[in-house]
Amino acid sequence: MDQGNTGFILISSALVLLMTPGLAFFYGGMVKAKSVVSMMMLSFGSMGIVGVLWVVYGYAVSFSNGGTSTFIGIDGVWGIDTSFLNLDAQVKNALGDPAAMVSGHPDLAFVAFQAVFAIITVALISGAIADRAKFGAWMIFAGVWATLIYFPVANWVFNFTLTDGKVTDGGWIVYNLGVHDFAGGTAVHINAGAAGLALAIVLGKRFGFSKGITQPHNVPLTLLGAGLLWFGWFGFNAGSELAADGIASIAFLNTLSAPAAAMLGWLIIEKIKHGKATSIGAASGAVAGLVAITPACDILNPGWALLLGILAGALCALAVDLKFALGFDDSLDVVGIHLIGGIFGTLFIGVFGRGIGVLDTGSWSQLGAQALGAGAVLAYSFIGALVIGFIIEKTIGFRVKAEDEIAGIDTVVHGEEAYAFGGANV
Amino acid sequence: MHSDATGFLIICSALVLFMTPGLAFFYGGLVRASSVVSMMMMSFGSIALIAVIWVVFGYAMSFGNADHGNYVGWDGVFGIDLNQLFLGGVIDDALSHNDGFNLVFAGFQGTFAIITVALISGAIADRAKFGSWLLFAGIWATLVYFPVASWIFNFQTDETGKTINGGWLVYRVGVLDFAGGTGFSKGMHAPHSVPLVLIGVGILWFGWFGFNAGSALAANGIASLSFINTLASPVAGMLTWSLYEKLKHGKATSVGAGSGAVAALVAITPACGYLTPFWSLVLGAIAGFVCAMAIELKFLLGYDDSLDVVGVHLVGGLIGTLYLGIFANGSGLIYSGSFDQLAKQAIGALTVLIYAFAVSFIIGWTIQKTVGLRVTSTDEIAGVDLVQHGESAYSRHDPRWSWRLGR
Repeated sequence: MDQGNTGFILISSALVLLMTPGLAFFYGGMVKAKSVVSMMMLSFGSMGIVGVLWVVYGYAVSFSNGGTSTFIGIDGVWGIDTSFLNLDAQVKNALGDPAAMVSGHPDLAFVAFQAVFAIITVALISGAIADRAKFGAWMIFAGVWATLIYFPVANWVFNFTLTDGKVTDGGWIVYNLGVHDFAGGTAVHINAGAAGLALAIVLGKRFGFSKGITQPHNVPLTLLGAGLLWFGWFGFNAGSELAADGIASIAFLNTLSAPAAAMLGWLIIEKIKHGKATSIGAASGAVAGLVAITPACDILNPGWALLLGILAGALCALAVDLKFALGFDDSLDVVGIHLIGGIFGTLFIGVFGRGIGVLDTGSWSQLGAQALGAGAVLAYSFIGALVIGFIIEKTIGFRVKAEDEIAGIDTVVHGEEAYAFGGANV
Repeated sequence: MHSDATGFLIICSALVLFMTPGLAFFYGGLVRASSVVSMMMMSFGSIALIAVIWVVFGYAMSFGNADHGNYVGWDGVFGIDLNQLFLGGVIDDALSHNDGFNLVFAGFQGTFAIITVALISGAIADRAKFGSWLLFAGIWATLVYFPVASWIFNFQTDETGKTINGGWLVYRVGVLDFAGGTGFSKGMHAPHSVPLVLIGVGILWFGWFGFNAGSALAANGIASLSFINTLASPVAGMLTWSLYEKLKHGKATSVGAGSGAVAALVAITPACGYLTPFWSLVLGAIAGFVCAMAIELKFLLGYDDSLDVVGVHLVGGLIGTLYLGIFANGSGLIYSGSFDQLAKQAIGALTVLIYAFAVSFIIGWTIQKTVGLRVTSTDEIAGVDLVQHGESAYSRHDPRWSWRLGR
């Protein structure tokens, strides 16, 4: 067992966990003061529900492999290893002989790392349904979507066996298609973005959406969230190497350079279009760059990472206006940033990826594989989320009543107001 | 030289130190806008004061042993290793053998002392004098925390001592009677900033990974198990606290979700290396639900624990410590069929509880009778921030500015 790498994975996991509160503040600052509690609770709620499911059966679905007597299902597509339920096999591994840990670290460290991936992916979706979602309905959606969409997709993308640096077994996207997705451009960002689009359609537009969106109620809260997201993202990307080595260092450096460039790209577009560079734009640009670099952070040289960043920032700054053109209320730009940024980063690998892209190999086959993988996750997640969301809306109802939405949902749904300034108790 | 474990412990120490600012925001958001500065300063004040006395003599008291060094006192109960004053001994180790592990361990344990003291401040929101708080903090750390840390954390090979993570029990008791000595604050009020509360929860949880996984003192299987349990327990606690609120009051609040996570983090702390993740989920679920009920104790028993430190920390910690006797992997009742471990847990908890309660009571009472712990009623109603610190947390041109909800 390698203590250095185990420690690295554990610390990276802690960083990734902090991303979900960070996301809660990033989103929370952007909504109005009367719905910030609800907005943050959508993120904190997914920590609760997805964390529990992960321990009980999420890991068993996401990281099961065929060929053992305890496996039920179709290997690489959809299945579960019953010996992984409640993490029983992983606990045995962690408490057993360190020399027997084949991966060089206790399996439980990897379980913890992947758990926080599942949590943040579900939480990302909530940006599409700001100001108008019922908390209970969201919790049901989060649990069902994680079970039916995220856990299988994580298996397709993140579950693979490496032999001498080559993928020799695993989920169908990473193994059969050969898609390169280092830290989750498809499984995390395209997945969440497509589900966000579906939910924005299911829930419909907020009141007053056509007259233009409201201003963020708390800019420092959004920037605090962006800072925490970026901080945690270093764990997300560099930690995905599962070892503190050269690749992890490249991933780390690219996680610094791409978002920096993307921030500039976004601000330039804003300046040109609206005459002023905003702080919300800077934060959104950084997040767009982080999204785009996620699948590619190990396989781009920093020069290409800068190019990816600046293009992703500019592209996403333009893409966030799609919702007005097409008329879906993706309130906090889950589609514009995560779906578009995720697709862009995933495809970029097909062109500029070291050793696999068109530039190095002269062959378009990797780009084709990337496009196919991205399209498959997009379609699966979009259709799945649309069906789950639609069923919830038709049965218990997903959206709050019109008068509650106008009055502000914090007091109606949670019985709390975000800020108590003023009155006798100041 | 074990650089891997040293590196891991350095980062974990940084995470644990970060918990105290996190606590300041958690508590700060819960109080009203006119006492948030005072609330945060009690945590930041603990960082300053406790870190200083930790370096000067705290470590020497907590980790002295009669069989080496220059030990004065009663071994294993109350004493000090004079060679470790100003961390002298561990610094020699670090420089002469180029092995910083013991020195980092001293830093790691120092951050434990800081957060433990800071936690107490939640019980005296809105009404404490800053100077008196610091006086209490310093004396309490010296007479209660450092000796008890030596009872609990200072062990060499004896694994049974480790199972009673009593440092956690200490402050909980201190809390109860410190609060008892100061009386009720003037009226209840809603948290002034829910986002600030949740910022605190997020940072606390983040730091808690360092607290629990770092306690393995190596990045190994036990650290990994502690880590996943530090995730499993709070997620369940968050859900059950919210469920209790939903059933009892009809709405699940965000402050409730945050408190549920913290209650379950407290409960899992003594148990994190000894439970399987499934039993951690169950522990978290119990802790969240029971603590949600326990915070109503203060109205029944008539003490003012403003920020539910007793309901969350004392009750949560007791649940975790006793639960271990039943479900601990290997030694617990359900695995061994024996009540041995449960009895050990109960005796350990009780001993620490009685000592800490008695000494804390004397310290609190003495300060109250001499310099006074509490501000005057008029100052309390006006808000302690301006009176104690000459600052207000949020400034606008109009002093009676009120936050406009919505736009």
